[in-house]
Amino acid sequence: MAVQAGNLKKGEFISYQGEIYQVQKTEFYSPGKGSALMRTKIKNVSSGKTLDYTFKSNEMIETVEVTSIEMQYLYKDSANAIFMDQQNFNQYEVPLEMIGDVVSFFKEGETMYVYVHDDKPLNVRPPVSVTLKVTHTDTAAKGDTVTNAKKEAELETGAKVMVPLFIKTGETIIINPETGEYAGRANS
Amino acid sequence: MKIHVHLDNLEKYKAFLKFKDAVRSFFLLNNYLELDLPIVSPVLIPESGLEVFETEYKYKQSKQNLYLTPSPELFIKRLIVSGVNDCFYLGKSFRNDELVSRKHSFEFQILEFYKIGVDYIQFSEIVLQLLQFLAKTFFKNQEIVYQNKKILFDKLEQITVADAFHKYAGINSDELFDEVKFLEKAASKKYQTNGFNYVDLWSQIYAQEVEPNLGKNGRATIIYDFPIQFASLAQPNEDGQTAKRFELYIEGIEIGNCFSELTDYKIQKNRFDKEQQERKISGKIEHQIDSEFISYLEKGMPSCSGIAIGIERLGLIFCNCDNINELKILDIY
Repeated sequence: MAVQAGNLKKGEFISYQGEIYQVQKTEFYSPGKGSALMRTKIKNVSSGKTLDYTFKSNEMIETVEVTSIEMQYLYKDSANAIFMDQQNFNQYEVPLEMIGDVVSFFKEGETMYVYVHDDKPLNVRPPVSVTLKVTHTDTAAKGDTVTNAKKEAELETGAKVMVPLFIKTGETIIINPETGEYAGRANS
Repeated sequence: MKIHVHLDNLEKYKAFLKFKDAVRSFFLLNNYLELDLPIVSPVLIPESGLEVFETEYKYKQSKQNLYLTPSPELFIKRLIVSGVNDCFYLGKSFRNDELVSRKHSFEFQILEFYKIGVDYIQFSEIVLQLLQFLAKTFFKNQEIVYQNKKILFDKLEQITVADAFHKYAGINSDELFDEVKFLEKAASKKYQTNGFNYVDLWSQIYAQEVEPNLGKNGRATIIYDFPIQFASLAQPNEDGQTAKRFELYIEGIEIGNCFSELTDYKIQKNRFDKEQQERKISGKIEHQIDSEFISYLEKGMPSCSGIAIGIERLGLIFCNCDNINELKILDIY
Protein backbone atom coordinates (compact mmCIF):
# COMPACT_ATOMS: atom_id res chain seq x y z
CA MET A 1 0.00 0.00 0.00
CA ALA A 2 1.12 3.55 -0.57
CA VAL A 3 0.17 6.75 1.25
CA GLN A 4 0.88 10.41 0.62
CA ALA A 5 3.79 11.55 2.77
CA GLY A 6 1.57 14.31 4.17
CA ASN A 7 -0.58 11.59 5.77
CA LEU A 8 2.26 9.65 7.39
CA LYS A 9 1.74 8.96 11.08
CA LYS A 10 4.06 8.27 13.93
CA GLY A 11 4.53 4.54 14.47
CA GLU A 12 3.87 3.54 10.84
CA PHE A 13 6.36 1.37 8.97
CA ILE A 14 7.49 2.46 5.54
CA SER A 15 9.78 1.22 2.84
CA TYR A 16 12.37 3.83 1.90
CA GLN A 17 15.22 3.16 -0.54
CA GLY A 18 14.76 -0.59 -0.13
CA GLU A 19 14.83 -0.70 3.66
CA ILE A 20 12.14 -0.73 6.32
CA TYR A 21 11.83 2.29 8.61
CA GLN A 22 9.47 3.17 11.42
CA VAL A 23 8.21 6.75 11.52
CA GLN A 24 9.26 8.35 14.81
CA LYS A 25 8.19 11.93 14.27
CA THR A 26 6.38 13.95 11.62
CA GLU A 27 6.16 17.68 11.10
CA PHE A 28 4.17 19.22 8.29
CA TYR A 29 5.99 22.12 6.75
CA SER A 30 4.75 24.64 4.25
CA PRO A 31 7.56 27.02 3.34
CA GLY A 32 5.20 29.51 1.68
CA LYS A 33 7.12 29.02 -1.56
CA GLY A 34 6.95 25.94 -3.72
CA SER A 35 5.54 22.67 -2.45
CA ALA A 36 4.39 21.69 1.02
CA LEU A 37 6.70 19.22 2.71
CA MET A 38 6.62 16.61 5.43
CA ARG A 39 9.61 16.53 7.75
CA THR A 40 10.11 13.15 9.40
CA LYS A 41 12.42 11.33 11.72
CA ILE A 42 12.54 7.69 10.63
CA LYS A 43 14.31 4.74 12.21
CA ASN A 44 15.85 1.91 10.24
CA VAL A 45 14.48 -1.34 11.74
CA SER A 46 17.63 -3.28 10.82
CA SER A 47 20.30 -0.89 12.05
CA GLY A 48 18.26 1.08 14.61
CA LYS A 49 19.76 4.28 13.15
CA THR A 50 17.53 7.32 12.83
CA LEU A 51 17.43 9.62 9.87
CA ASP A 52 15.89 13.06 9.32
CA TYR A 53 14.20 13.08 5.97
CA THR A 54 11.97 15.63 4.27
CA PHE A 55 9.40 14.26 1.84
CA LYS A 56 7.27 16.22 -0.59
CA SER A 57 3.86 16.15 1.09
CA ASN A 58 2.21 14.65 -2.01
CA GLU A 59 4.93 12.08 -2.67
CA MET A 60 3.68 8.48 -2.45
CA ILE A 61 5.39 6.38 0.19
CA GLU A 62 5.19 2.59 0.33
CA THR A 63 3.94 1.43 3.70
CA VAL A 64 4.90 -1.96 5.07
CA GLU A 65 2.15 -4.25 6.28
CA VAL A 66 2.77 -5.41 9.80
CA THR A 67 0.73 -7.57 12.16
CA SER A 68 0.70 -6.80 15.84
CA ILE A 69 0.86 -9.94 17.95
CA GLU A 70 0.24 -10.01 21.67
CA MET A 71 3.37 -11.40 23.36
CA GLN A 72 4.78 -11.81 26.81
CA TYR A 73 7.92 -9.87 27.68
CA LEU A 74 10.39 -12.38 29.13
CA TYR A 75 13.67 -10.55 29.77
CA LYS A 76 16.33 -8.47 28.12
CA ASP A 77 20.02 -9.06 27.49
CA SER A 78 22.62 -6.52 26.46
CA ALA A 79 21.32 -6.24 22.90
CA ASN A 80 17.74 -7.50 22.71
CA ALA A 81 14.43 -7.74 24.51
CA ILE A 82 13.00 -11.25 24.34
CA PHE A 83 9.27 -11.80 23.78
CA MET A 84 7.18 -14.95 23.55
CA ASP A 85 4.14 -15.47 21.35
CA GLN A 86 1.71 -17.06 23.79
CA GLN A 87 -0.16 -18.91 21.05
CA ASN A 88 2.74 -20.97 19.72
CA PHE A 89 5.47 -20.27 22.33
CA ASN A 90 7.85 -18.94 19.64
CA GLN A 91 10.38 -16.50 20.99
CA TYR A 92 11.30 -13.25 19.27
CA GLU A 93 14.21 -10.90 19.82
CA VAL A 94 13.64 -7.16 19.39
CA PRO A 95 16.80 -5.03 19.36
CA LEU A 96 16.96 -2.63 22.31
CA GLU A 97 18.17 0.10 19.95
CA MET A 98 14.86 -0.16 18.14
CA ILE A 99 12.70 -0.04 21.26
CA GLY A 100 14.55 2.90 22.78
CA ASP A 101 14.33 4.19 26.36
CA VAL A 102 10.78 2.95 26.81
CA VAL A 103 12.15 -0.57 27.49
CA SER A 104 13.19 0.54 30.97
CA PHE A 105 9.49 0.55 31.92
CA PHE A 106 8.79 -3.02 30.72
CA LYS A 107 8.11 -5.47 33.52
CA GLU A 108 9.01 -9.10 32.98
CA GLY A 109 5.93 -11.27 32.47
CA GLU A 110 3.73 -8.41 31.15
CA THR A 111 2.05 -8.77 27.79
CA MET A 112 2.28 -6.21 25.03
CA TYR A 113 2.01 -6.02 21.26
CA VAL A 114 4.97 -6.70 18.98
CA TYR A 115 4.93 -5.60 15.34
CA VAL A 116 5.89 -8.47 13.07
CA HIS A 117 6.67 -8.41 9.34
CA ASP A 118 7.56 -11.63 7.46
CA ASP A 119 7.92 -13.39 10.82
CA LYS A 120 10.55 -10.79 11.82
CA PRO A 121 9.79 -8.65 14.89
CA LEU A 122 10.26 -4.98 14.02
CA ASN A 123 9.39 -3.16 17.23
CA VAL A 124 7.15 -3.13 20.26
CA ARG A 125 4.02 -1.03 20.54
CA PRO A 126 4.57 0.48 23.97
CA PRO A 127 1.59 0.31 26.34
CA VAL A 128 -0.21 3.64 26.88
CA SER A 129 0.52 3.36 30.59
CA VAL A 130 2.41 1.01 32.88
CA THR A 131 1.84 0.31 36.56
CA LEU A 132 5.05 -0.10 38.54
CA LYS A 133 6.11 -0.29 42.16
CA VAL A 134 8.41 2.34 43.69
CA THR A 135 11.38 0.47 45.16
CA HIS A 136 13.06 3.55 46.56
CA THR A 137 12.41 7.23 47.03
CA ASP A 138 13.58 9.67 49.68
CA THR A 139 11.09 10.91 52.22
CA ALA A 140 10.16 14.49 51.38
CA ALA A 141 11.63 17.12 53.67
CA LYS A 142 8.98 18.71 55.84
CA GLY A 143 8.06 22.25 54.98
CA ASP A 144 8.82 21.75 51.31
CA THR A 145 5.73 23.39 49.90
CA VAL A 146 6.86 24.48 46.45
CA THR A 147 4.00 23.78 44.05
CA ASN A 148 4.74 21.09 41.50
CA ALA A 149 7.93 20.08 43.32
CA LYS A 150 9.16 16.64 42.30
CA LYS A 151 11.68 14.09 43.56
CA GLU A 152 13.37 11.09 42.02
CA ALA A 153 11.99 7.57 42.51
CA GLU A 154 13.45 4.23 41.47
CA LEU A 155 10.98 1.70 40.09
CA GLU A 156 10.98 -2.09 40.20
CA THR A 157 12.32 -2.25 36.64
CA GLY A 158 15.29 -0.09 37.63
CA ALA A 159 13.97 2.97 35.76
CA LYS A 160 14.16 6.34 37.51
CA VAL A 161 11.35 8.86 37.22
CA MET A 162 10.30 12.13 38.82
CA VAL A 163 7.29 11.83 41.14
CA PRO A 164 5.34 14.19 43.42
CA LEU A 165 6.70 14.58 46.96
CA PHE A 166 3.85 12.61 48.58
CA ILE A 167 4.81 9.31 46.89
CA LYS A 168 6.44 6.81 49.28
CA THR A 169 8.60 3.72 48.81
CA GLY A 170 6.43 0.64 48.24
CA GLU A 171 3.60 2.52 46.51
CA THR A 172 2.42 1.54 43.03
CA ILE A 173 2.25 4.30 40.46
CA ILE A 174 1.23 4.79 36.84
CA ILE A 175 3.77 6.00 34.29
CA ASN A 176 3.42 7.08 30.67
CA PRO A 177 6.26 4.95 29.24
CA GLU A 178 6.73 7.10 26.13
CA THR A 179 7.50 10.25 28.09
CA GLY A 180 8.57 8.69 31.39
CA GLU A 181 6.14 11.02 33.15
CA TYR A 182 4.26 10.24 36.34
CA ALA A 183 0.53 9.91 35.59
CA GLY A 184 -0.95 9.06 39.00
CA ARG A 185 -1.20 6.60 41.86
CA ALA A 186 -2.52 3.14 41.04
CA ASN A 187 -5.64 2.06 42.90
CA SER A 188 -4.58 -0.60 45.32
CA MET B 1 -10.29 20.02 16.69
CA LYS B 2 -10.94 21.33 20.16
CA ILE B 3 -10.41 24.46 22.19
CA HIS B 4 -7.55 24.05 24.66
CA VAL B 5 -6.85 26.27 27.65
CA HIS B 6 -3.21 26.36 28.83
CA LEU B 7 -2.96 28.66 31.80
CA ASP B 8 0.31 26.96 32.69
CA ASN B 9 1.75 29.02 29.82
CA LEU B 10 0.75 32.29 31.49
CA GLU B 11 4.31 33.50 32.21
CA LYS B 12 5.54 32.78 28.68
CA TYR B 13 2.39 34.33 27.25
CA LYS B 14 3.08 37.52 29.24
CA ALA B 15 6.67 37.52 28.00
CA PHE B 16 5.36 37.22 24.44
CA LEU B 17 3.02 40.19 24.97
CA LYS B 18 5.98 42.27 26.14
CA PHE B 19 7.92 41.08 23.13
CA LYS B 20 5.18 42.27 20.78
CA ASP B 21 5.07 45.62 22.59
CA ALA B 22 8.81 45.94 21.98
CA VAL B 23 8.37 45.15 18.29
CA ARG B 24 5.69 47.83 18.07
CA SER B 25 7.90 50.34 19.94
CA PHE B 26 10.72 49.84 17.45
CA PHE B 27 8.50 50.84 14.55
CA LEU B 28 6.77 53.71 16.32
CA LEU B 29 10.15 55.12 17.42
CA ASN B 30 11.30 54.95 13.80
CA ASN B 31 8.21 56.74 12.47
CA TYR B 32 6.52 53.79 10.79
CA LEU B 33 2.74 54.07 10.55
CA GLU B 34 0.89 51.21 12.21
CA LEU B 35 -1.75 49.74 9.90
CA ASP B 36 -5.00 48.29 11.18
CA LEU B 37 -6.25 46.10 8.35
CA PRO B 38 -9.12 43.69 7.60
CA ILE B 39 -8.49 39.97 7.84
CA VAL B 40 -11.07 39.12 5.16
CA SER B 41 -11.03 40.17 1.56
CA PRO B 42 -13.27 39.63 -1.49
CA VAL B 43 -10.16 39.13 -3.68
CA LEU B 44 -6.68 37.71 -3.15
CA ILE B 45 -3.26 37.64 -4.76
CA PRO B 46 -2.93 34.19 -6.38
CA GLU B 47 -0.17 32.16 -4.75
CA SER B 48 0.28 28.57 -5.86
CA GLY B 49 2.06 27.49 -2.66
CA LEU B 50 -0.75 28.57 -0.31
CA GLU B 51 -4.28 27.36 0.28
CA VAL B 52 -6.88 29.82 1.59
CA PHE B 53 -9.91 29.84 3.88
CA GLU B 54 -13.17 30.64 2.14
CA THR B 55 -16.20 32.17 3.82
CA GLU B 56 -19.36 34.02 2.81
CA TYR B 57 -21.00 37.31 3.70
CA LYS B 58 -24.82 37.24 3.53
CA TYR B 59 -27.37 40.01 3.61
CA LYS B 60 -30.96 39.06 2.75
CA GLN B 61 -30.74 37.48 -0.72
CA SER B 62 -27.30 38.76 -1.60
CA LYS B 63 -24.13 36.81 -1.01
CA GLN B 64 -20.48 37.62 -1.35
CA ASN B 65 -17.53 35.22 -1.13
CA LEU B 66 -14.85 36.39 1.22
CA TYR B 67 -11.43 34.92 2.01
CA LEU B 68 -9.32 35.09 5.13
CA THR B 69 -6.12 36.81 4.10
CA PRO B 70 -2.94 34.67 3.96
CA SER B 71 -0.96 37.94 4.09
CA PRO B 72 -1.87 41.65 4.37
CA GLU B 73 0.27 42.51 1.32
CA LEU B 74 -2.65 43.28 -1.04
CA PHE B 75 -3.90 45.94 1.38
CA ILE B 76 -0.53 47.43 2.25
CA LYS B 77 0.62 47.95 -1.33
CA ARG B 78 -2.62 49.77 -2.16
CA LEU B 79 -1.86 52.14 0.71
CA ILE B 80 1.74 52.63 -0.42
CA VAL B 81 0.67 53.43 -3.99
CA SER B 82 -1.87 55.86 -2.51
CA GLY B 83 0.84 57.71 -0.58
CA VAL B 84 1.48 55.94 2.73
CA ASN B 85 5.19 55.88 3.59
CA ASP B 86 7.08 53.48 5.87
CA CYS B 87 4.50 51.31 7.60
CA PHE B 88 3.88 48.06 9.48
CA TYR B 89 1.10 45.60 10.28
CA LEU B 90 1.12 43.28 13.27
CA GLY B 91 -1.88 40.96 13.28
CA LYS B 92 -3.42 37.70 12.19
CA SER B 93 -3.11 35.85 8.89
CA PHE B 94 -4.52 32.49 7.82
CA ARG B 95 -3.22 29.67 5.66
CA ASN B 96 -5.36 26.60 5.04
CA ASP B 97 -4.43 22.99 4.35
CA GLU B 98 -1.63 23.04 6.88
CA LEU B 99 -1.14 20.94 9.98
CA VAL B 100 -0.42 22.41 13.37
CA SER B 101 3.13 21.71 14.48
CA ARG B 102 5.97 23.08 16.60
CA LYS B 103 6.51 26.14 14.42
CA HIS B 104 3.33 26.18 12.45
CA SER B 105 -0.36 26.92 12.71
CA PHE B 106 -3.05 27.66 10.14
CA GLU B 107 -3.83 30.85 12.06
CA PHE B 108 -0.75 32.88 12.90
CA GLN B 109 0.51 36.34 13.74
CA ILE B 110 2.36 38.13 11.01
CA LEU B 111 4.52 41.23 11.08
CA GLU B 112 4.82 42.94 7.74
CA PHE B 113 6.80 46.11 7.38
CA TYR B 114 7.79 48.21 4.41
CA LYS B 115 10.46 50.83 3.90
CA ILE B 116 10.28 53.20 0.96
CA GLY B 117 13.34 53.84 -1.23
CA VAL B 118 15.57 50.94 -0.16
CA ASP B 119 16.44 47.65 -1.85
CA TYR B 120 16.45 44.26 -0.15
CA ILE B 121 20.12 44.37 0.87
CA GLN B 122 19.76 47.85 2.43
CA PHE B 123 16.57 46.60 4.03
CA SER B 124 18.43 43.77 5.77
CA GLU B 125 20.19 46.48 7.83
CA ILE B 126 16.81 47.55 9.21
CA VAL B 127 15.99 43.93 10.06
CA LEU B 128 19.30 43.78 11.94
CA GLN B 129 18.42 47.00 13.78
CA LEU B 130 15.09 45.46 14.82
CA LEU B 131 16.85 42.34 16.15
CA GLN B 132 19.39 44.51 17.99
CA PHE B 133 16.59 46.61 19.51
CA LEU B 134 14.78 43.47 20.72
CA ALA B 135 17.98 41.95 22.09
CA LYS B 136 18.75 45.17 23.96
CA THR B 137 15.21 45.40 25.33
CA PHE B 138 15.09 41.79 26.53
CA PHE B 139 18.72 40.94 27.26
CA LYS B 140 20.30 44.42 27.71
CA ASN B 141 22.85 43.25 25.20
CA GLN B 142 23.54 42.39 21.56
CA GLU B 143 23.83 38.79 22.59
CA ILE B 144 20.94 36.56 23.59
CA VAL B 145 20.68 32.96 24.76
CA TYR B 146 18.28 30.60 23.00
CA GLN B 147 17.99 26.97 24.15
CA ASN B 148 21.44 27.24 25.78
CA LYS B 149 23.04 28.66 22.64
CA LYS B 150 24.39 32.17 22.34
CA ILE B 151 23.23 34.27 19.40
CA LEU B 152 25.02 37.51 18.65
CA PHE B 153 23.26 40.25 16.72
CA ASP B 154 26.33 42.36 15.86
CA LYS B 155 25.86 41.63 12.14
CA LEU B 156 23.99 39.25 9.87
CA GLU B 157 25.63 36.28 8.23
CA GLN B 158 24.91 36.52 4.50
CA ILE B 159 24.97 33.75 1.93
CA THR B 160 23.52 33.50 -1.59
CA VAL B 161 21.18 30.63 -2.44
CA ALA B 162 23.74 29.46 -5.03
CA ASP B 163 26.58 29.38 -2.47
CA ALA B 164 24.38 27.61 0.08
CA PHE B 165 23.38 24.86 -2.39
CA HIS B 166 27.02 24.43 -3.32
CA LYS B 167 28.21 24.34 0.29
CA TYR B 168 25.50 22.18 1.86
CA ALA B 169 24.06 20.10 -0.98
CA GLY B 170 27.00 19.79 -3.39
CA ILE B 171 24.95 21.31 -6.21
CA ASN B 172 26.77 23.89 -8.33
CA SER B 173 25.08 26.90 -9.90
CA ASP B 174 25.09 25.36 -13.40
CA GLU B 175 22.87 22.61 -12.05
CA LEU B 176 20.90 24.85 -9.68
CA PHE B 177 19.48 27.20 -12.30
CA ASP B 178 18.93 24.66 -15.09
CA GLU B 179 15.67 22.79 -14.52
CA VAL B 180 16.69 19.69 -16.49
CA LYS B 181 20.14 19.40 -14.91
CA PHE B 182 18.67 20.03 -11.48
CA LEU B 183 16.17 17.17 -11.80
CA GLU B 184 18.97 14.87 -13.00
CA LYS B 185 21.07 15.84 -10.02
CA ALA B 186 18.11 15.25 -7.67
CA ALA B 187 17.54 11.78 -9.16
CA SER B 188 21.23 10.96 -8.70
CA LYS B 189 20.80 11.94 -5.03
CA LYS B 190 17.97 9.37 -4.87
CA TYR B 191 15.13 11.86 -4.56
CA GLN B 192 11.81 10.76 -6.04
CA THR B 193 11.61 12.84 -9.24
CA ASN B 194 9.02 10.94 -11.24
CA GLY B 195 5.91 13.12 -11.59
CA PHE B 196 7.51 16.10 -9.84
CA ASN B 197 8.87 19.35 -11.21
CA TYR B 198 11.76 21.70 -10.51
CA VAL B 199 9.89 23.66 -7.83
CA ASP B 200 8.91 20.46 -5.97
CA LEU B 201 12.44 19.06 -5.92
CA TRP B 202 14.09 22.39 -5.23
CA SER B 203 11.83 22.87 -2.18
CA GLN B 204 12.57 19.36 -0.94
CA ILE B 205 16.37 19.60 -1.28
CA TYR B 206 16.34 23.10 0.21
CA ALA B 207 14.42 21.81 3.26
CA GLN B 208 16.40 18.58 3.56
CA GLU B 209 19.96 19.72 2.94
CA VAL B 210 20.25 23.51 3.04
CA GLU B 211 17.82 24.93 5.58
CA PRO B 212 18.94 22.94 8.66
CA ASN B 213 22.33 24.71 8.38
CA LEU B 214 21.05 28.27 8.24
CA GLY B 215 21.43 30.62 11.20
CA LYS B 216 23.40 27.96 13.06
CA ASN B 217 26.72 29.79 13.50
CA GLY B 218 25.69 31.93 16.46
CA ARG B 219 24.32 34.69 14.21
CA ALA B 220 21.12 35.28 12.29
CA THR B 221 21.55 34.46 8.60
CA ILE B 222 20.02 35.91 5.48
CA ILE B 223 20.00 33.68 2.42
CA TYR B 224 19.38 35.73 -0.73
CA ASP B 225 18.91 35.73 -4.51
CA PHE B 226 16.38 32.93 -4.94
CA PRO B 227 15.81 31.29 -8.34
CA ILE B 228 13.39 33.32 -10.45
CA GLN B 229 10.80 30.51 -10.09
CA PHE B 230 10.48 31.65 -6.46
CA ALA B 231 10.31 35.37 -7.27
CA SER B 232 6.66 35.74 -6.21
CA LEU B 233 6.33 39.51 -5.71
CA ALA B 234 10.05 40.23 -5.82
CA GLN B 235 12.02 42.13 -8.47
CA PRO B 236 14.14 40.06 -10.83
CA ASN B 237 17.93 40.53 -10.73
CA GLU B 238 19.85 41.60 -13.84
CA ASP B 239 21.28 38.04 -14.21
CA GLY B 240 17.81 36.91 -15.36
CA GLN B 241 17.89 33.79 -13.21
CA THR B 242 17.47 35.10 -9.65
CA ALA B 243 15.13 37.42 -7.76
CA LYS B 244 15.75 40.07 -5.11
CA ARG B 245 14.42 38.00 -2.26
CA PHE B 246 15.97 37.00 1.05
CA GLU B 247 14.88 34.85 3.93
CA LEU B 248 15.94 35.30 7.51
CA TYR B 249 16.95 32.31 9.64
CA ILE B 250 17.84 31.95 13.28
CA GLU B 251 18.89 28.52 14.58
CA GLY B 252 17.57 26.73 11.48
CA ILE B 253 14.13 28.35 11.86
CA GLU B 254 12.78 30.41 8.98
CA ILE B 255 11.75 33.70 10.54
CA GLY B 256 10.94 35.98 7.62
CA ASN B 257 10.83 36.58 3.92
CA CYS B 258 11.80 39.84 2.21
CA PHE B 259 11.43 41.20 -1.30
CA SER B 260 12.68 44.18 -3.19
CA GLU B 261 9.09 44.73 -4.20
CA LEU B 262 8.19 44.26 -7.82
CA THR B 263 6.86 47.53 -9.24
CA ASP B 264 6.52 46.42 -12.88
CA TYR B 265 2.83 45.71 -13.36
CA LYS B 266 3.34 43.74 -16.58
CA ILE B 267 5.70 41.22 -14.99
CA GLN B 268 3.38 40.98 -11.98
CA LYS B 269 0.40 40.29 -14.23
CA ASN B 270 2.27 37.45 -15.95
CA ARG B 271 3.19 35.94 -12.60
CA PHE B 272 -0.43 36.22 -11.43
CA ASP B 273 -1.60 34.31 -14.51
CA LYS B 274 1.01 31.61 -13.94
CA GLU B 275 0.26 31.26 -10.23
CA GLN B 276 -3.47 31.12 -10.89
CA GLN B 277 -2.89 28.40 -13.50
CA GLU B 278 -0.84 26.39 -11.01
CA ARG B 279 -3.53 26.79 -8.35
CA LYS B 280 -6.03 25.33 -10.78
CA ILE B 281 -3.78 22.39 -11.68
CA SER B 282 -3.17 21.52 -8.05
CA GLY B 283 -6.91 21.65 -7.25
CA LYS B 284 -6.77 24.63 -4.88
CA ILE B 285 -9.79 26.82 -4.06
CA GLU B 286 -10.52 29.15 -6.97
CA HIS B 287 -10.73 32.53 -5.32
CA GLN B 288 -11.38 35.88 -6.96
CA ILE B 289 -8.12 37.30 -8.29
CA ASP B 290 -7.12 40.77 -7.15
CA SER B 291 -6.83 42.29 -10.62
CA GLU B 292 -7.19 45.76 -9.14
CA PHE B 293 -3.81 45.13 -7.48
CA ILE B 294 -2.27 45.23 -10.97
CA SER B 295 -4.05 48.54 -11.67
CA TYR B 296 -2.55 49.96 -8.50
CA LEU B 297 0.95 48.89 -9.60
CA GLU B 298 0.24 50.46 -12.99
CA LYS B 299 -0.39 53.80 -11.29
CA GLY B 300 3.21 53.55 -10.06
CA MET B 301 4.48 52.09 -6.82
CA PRO B 302 7.54 53.75 -5.31
CA SER B 303 10.56 51.49 -5.05
CA CYS B 304 10.46 49.84 -1.65
CA SER B 305 11.23 46.65 0.22
CA GLY B 306 9.11 44.71 2.64
CA ILE B 307 9.31 41.67 4.85
CA ALA B 308 6.82 39.24 6.36
CA ILE B 309 7.92 37.81 9.70
CA GLY B 310 6.21 35.02 11.62
CA ILE B 311 6.09 36.90 14.88
CA GLU B 312 5.43 33.77 16.96
CA ARG B 313 8.56 32.19 15.50
CA LEU B 314 10.63 35.25 16.30
CA GLY B 315 8.92 35.21 19.72
CA LEU B 316 10.22 31.67 20.25
CA ILE B 317 13.77 32.97 19.98
CA PHE B 318 13.34 35.94 22.33
CA CYS B 319 11.11 34.12 24.86
CA ASN B 320 13.35 31.02 24.71
CA CYS B 321 10.58 28.54 23.82
CA ASP B 322 10.70 25.48 21.63
CA ASN B 323 7.08 25.39 20.47
CA ILE B 324 4.79 28.25 19.44
CA ASN B 325 2.02 26.67 21.57
CA GLU B 326 4.01 27.63 24.66
CA LEU B 327 3.26 31.28 23.84
CA LYS B 328 -0.51 30.76 23.98
CA ILE B 329 -2.94 30.36 26.88
CA LEU B 330 -5.79 29.32 24.61
CA ASP B 331 -5.43 27.49 21.36
CA ILE B 332 -7.31 25.39 18.81
CA TYR B 333 -5.90 22.17 17.43
